[in-house]
Amino acid sequence: MHIRFLNLLAAAAVSATLVAAVGTATAADPVDQVKAREALMKKMGGGMKVIGQFVKGEGGTQDEVQKAAAAIAEVSANDVAAVFPQGTAKGVGDSHAKPELWAQWSKTQQLWSDMRPAAAKLVDAAKAGDKAQVAQAMQATGKTCANCHEEFRIKKQ
Amino acid sequence: MPATPLRALRIAAALLPLALWAGGTARAAEPAPAPPTSVPADPASADPVARGAYVFQAAGCFGCHTDEKAGGKPLAGGRALKTPFGTFFTPNITPDPQTGIGRWSDADFIRAFREGVRPDGAALFPAFPYTSYTRMTDQDLRDLKAYLFAQAPVSRPNTPHDLRAPFGWRFLLPVWQAMHLEEGPRPADPSKPAEWNRGRYLAEALGHCGECHTPRNALGALELSRAYAGTPDGPEGDKVPNLTPAKEMADWSLGDIESFLEIGMLPDGDFAGGSMAEVVRNSTSRLTKADRHAIAVYLKSLPPAQ
Repeated sequence: MHIRFLNLLAAAAVSATLVAAVGTATAADPVDQVKAREALMKKMGGGMKVIGQFVKGEGGTQDEVQKAAAAIAEVSANDVAAVFPQGTAKGVGDSHAKPELWAQWSKTQQLWSDMRPAAAKLVDAAKAGDKAQVAQAMQATGKTCANCHEEFRIKKQ
Repeated sequence: MPATPLRALRIAAALLPLALWAGGTARAAEPAPAPPTSVPADPASADPVARGAYVFQAAGCFGCHTDEKAGGKPLAGGRALKTPFGTFFTPNITPDPQTGIGRWSDADFIRAFREGVRPDGAALFPAFPYTSYTRMTDQDLRDLKAYLFAQAPVSRPNTPHDLRAPFGWRFLLPVWQAMHLEEGPRPADPSKPAEWNRGRYLAEALGHCGECHTPRNALGALELSRAYAGTPDGPEGDKVPNLTPAKEMADWSLGDIESFLEIGMLPDGDFAGGSMAEVVRNSTSRLTKADRHAIAVYLKSLPPAQ
């Protein structure tokens, strides 16, 4: 009886969480979604900046580089559909995303998932702390950024 | 509705070179197939084909002369450059004798780049940026031709441009050229280091940076007093950044510029998109480290322009 009650309680808790999660996903304000995306992009850009300074010999300790690489990998682990929900193309808030990003969704998924193995290598390189290896991994990761921006981002003003 | 052919020509002159840029934004993001060559690009090679491969990349020929979206063969042309004046279709520059440039002599080739004139004497539209390429040296032009003639010929007749009158009136072009084309390479400035002179050559002649980054006056000519000052309203309303140390790039280090040209990263960690991403991918990322440094040295030396 006691165990059954706990099971019920657990099931109820899970359901409540699911409802809450779905609730926020559907009720989210598109302008807020764009802001959240910008924050993720800024987090990755901030990481690339630190790594770039390290590679250029303009500062950045190995510890900072490791943190930066970890931040990039963390963002890349997000579901692309959560980062680019429908209804957040240009015209919504400060969005720079072309409508084609959703029209060519399989390409978008590919471009986003290309980032993960590249970011993983960047994390490894940062751990090793070898500048040439970091530079190479940064270039490969940057290529995945540029590929998507070239295709789907309107020019920043 | 243009009032006179001259006014129309003026507008056309202002915007035709930008057609390249507008077209660039429509490109696919897949990595470009490496331009076909059995010889790796090497500016210091004894082989003119290897040197020409390098010129070919530095001058960014591949993108416009290949219709990648439609699966066109490399350098066989046919890429549509849509403009308000109609659509240009880039020509076949493979060595096919019938439909390409296989019958062009060295002199024909040099004349096209330096004077904007075809072997049959007709003027070329400035969508082909000969106002910049005119500054290329004979040596680089010969090497470029050697490279192009070492590529596989493709039989693909050129698609006629689809231009609205009077923009398609080729006979008006010599007038425009007489006003705006200053022919020939620049002599080196002996007061400046060799890397500066090299950087100027790469930016002005091969890279044709000014075609997009220098504002144009009402006659469609580059406003050289405001060289590389950028413009707020490029094609599709895009802003073209100022390359002089006056605005966006005022605080960029040489390393920032080199890193941008190599991988497209801005100092804040952002990555360029749009047409400049294509330029980085096909052209500046393939330059030697020394050449990227030379461009950076040249850009940092520019007088600030607003």
